[in-house]
Amino acid sequence: MTVIESHRNRSRTVYAASYNRTTLRKTLIACAVLTGALLLTVIMMSLVGSEHLPASASLCALFSFGRSQCALTTDQFDILFQIRLPRILLAAAVGGSLATAGASYQALLRNPLAEPYLLGISNGAAVGTMVALVFFGGNEWSRPLLAFVGALLATLAVYRLARGRAGATPERLVLAGVIVTTFLSSVIVFVTTLMDATRIRSFTFWLLGDLSGTSKNLLPVAIAIAIVGTVVLAANARSLNLLMLGERDAFDLGVEVGKVRIVVFVVASLLVGSSVAASGSVGYVGLVVPHLARLSLGSDNRLSIPAAALGGAVFVIVADTVARTMIAPRELPVGAITALIGAPLFIYLLKRT
Amino acid sequence: MCLILVLVFYLGCSGKHSAPETSPTVRDVTDDAGRRVVLPLRIDRVISLAPNLTEITFAIGAGDRLVGRTSYCNFPSEAKTVAEVGDTLHPNLERIIALRPQLVLISTASQLEVFTHQLESQNIPVFVTDPHDLEGVFRSIDQLGTILGQGNQAKQLVDHLRARTAAVAEALKQTRPVTVFYQLSAEPLYTAGHDAFVTDLIRRAGGRSVTAEVPGAWPKYSAESALAARPEAIVLPTGGSMGEGNSAVAEALQRSPAAIQGKVYKINDDLLVRPGPRAIDGLEEMARALHPDAFKQ
Repeated sequence: MTVIESHRNRSRTVYAASYNRTTLRKTLIACAVLTGALLLTVIMMSLVGSEHLPASASLCALFSFGRSQCALTTDQFDILFQIRLPRILLAAAVGGSLATAGASYQALLRNPLAEPYLLGISNGAAVGTMVALVFFGGNEWSRPLLAFVGALLATLAVYRLARGRAGATPERLVLAGVIVTTFLSSVIVFVTTLMDATRIRSFTFWLLGDLSGTSKNLLPVAIAIAIVGTVVLAANARSLNLLMLGERDAFDLGVEVGKVRIVVFVVASLLVGSSVAASGSVGYVGLVVPHLARLSLGSDNRLSIPAAALGGAVFVIVADTVARTMIAPRELPVGAITALIGAPLFIYLLKRT
Repeated sequence: MCLILVLVFYLGCSGKHSAPETSPTVRDVTDDAGRRVVLPLRIDRVISLAPNLTEITFAIGAGDRLVGRTSYCNFPSEAKTVAEVGDTLHPNLERIIALRPQLVLISTASQLEVFTHQLESQNIPVFVTDPHDLEGVFRSIDQLGTILGQGNQAKQLVDHLRARTAAVAEALKQTRPVTVFYQLSAEPLYTAGHDAFVTDLIRRAGGRSVTAEVPGAWPKYSAESALAARPEAIVLPTGGSMGEGNSAVAEALQRSPAAIQGKVYKINDDLLVRPGPRAIDGLEEMARALHPDAFKQ
């Protein structure tokens, strides 16, 4: 047995010992509390909208899971179950996906500023969606698929650009993100200029993040991807924790760095792609929520990734409720609301790092 | 000594300034934006930056003086032979200057107000029209008639259009207004608000737009409010400049009385959103769609 191997084995033992029941219990409690908060948010926000619905009858219908109409009229019942609830569920899926993706990027790249929107990954997914709209307009399944491809390509581009001889410093990564973002933005502007008037209108609104176009077929897909993606990334949380020490240290501690990187890139791209295909570029969610999760729960990814997922869902549901009610019956793009909250926080974090 | 020199120089200068007071070669007009515009008496080179103004210019017999138009100006077919100066969102300033226009026409319907300043700084007179309703269309026709010296043709056109508008009103006298949802696009859901020209057109066609009081011209609209409005008819502007895209009813409206009873009407968007002479065609088509019985002879 060589010296290095014995060192590696010893470290593994040390680490395994530190993975005690307290962490597990803390994770379970935090997840239970946040799941409760998410359910409460879904129910509360279902009672708010541009049309007034009687609260008690709505609650009755919600708790019957739509089996009973309770005292609601058919129109009110349709508003609640065909429009409001699907939109809230989509907001939850989008928020959870983006926050999880953000938390994983931040751990993998050891950079507090890594965020799908700021790194240009959302824009990559947007270009993918745009390609799908232009070339496969009729097929809605092409949208999440090409958004995923776009997100993955943008991720790889940023990663390659950011890695200099001195490794990927936070500044270099943000710079690479700016380059990719602006390049892809010009691609988007170029293509929208060539599109006809109707498509421009819908597309520009969509680019700012819009949850109103909930497709009945894509909603279950978005929810499934959000849940599976979060579970897969949370399962890699231990490796991500060690990666936060540095790639070489993580490698010495037995982490298959290359494999983890591929898993995070692919799964996070899938999360971002499915969100962007469903709702456009909702910015800053992947920045605000993981930071709040780490500030309140600590930087252990086994805890902060699931917490970010649940918190992100709550955050986007609330932001979208503001977007759809503030100037009702008109609507604002939800991305404008998340950016209004996220941009000041981004500046604050930038000053701290 | 110096002082006297300065004084003499000053007087000399001010004397020169007041010199060219000859017969008037220009005139003052006031546009819809309340701006005073100084124009030559005869205008031979006009650029239109709005499809409705291009249509009016041709309709009053001044189309041969049009030297520039936007890529959206697709009617009448003669308009397509006129040089393009970009679309209504991005007019090309260099090309406009190169065409040496004596006047550039702008409509607030094309949202090009900002461009006015750029043209003015190049000493190109700009006339802004701001039609919100059919009366605004008639005013625009009058104004262009005066400016382009086609007053008689403009008057004839307005009289003719007024007569057709009155005929529609007469036919609809006994009818009850139908509630209408104007679906500009399904996803995301856009409609016509208070400031949209088509809102007045719907009212005159015997309809009542359920979004008539929503602020703005083209608001993004809440799906649940659209559902709750239960419109009796849905108008889909499609098939014109907008392309064929907007031909399906939005999901939130699929169970509305309009959709269930098949009262969904596709009307060429160019007839509904352009405050020009063809808006009367749009008015007649919409009135016949909403109240077929009123037009049975």
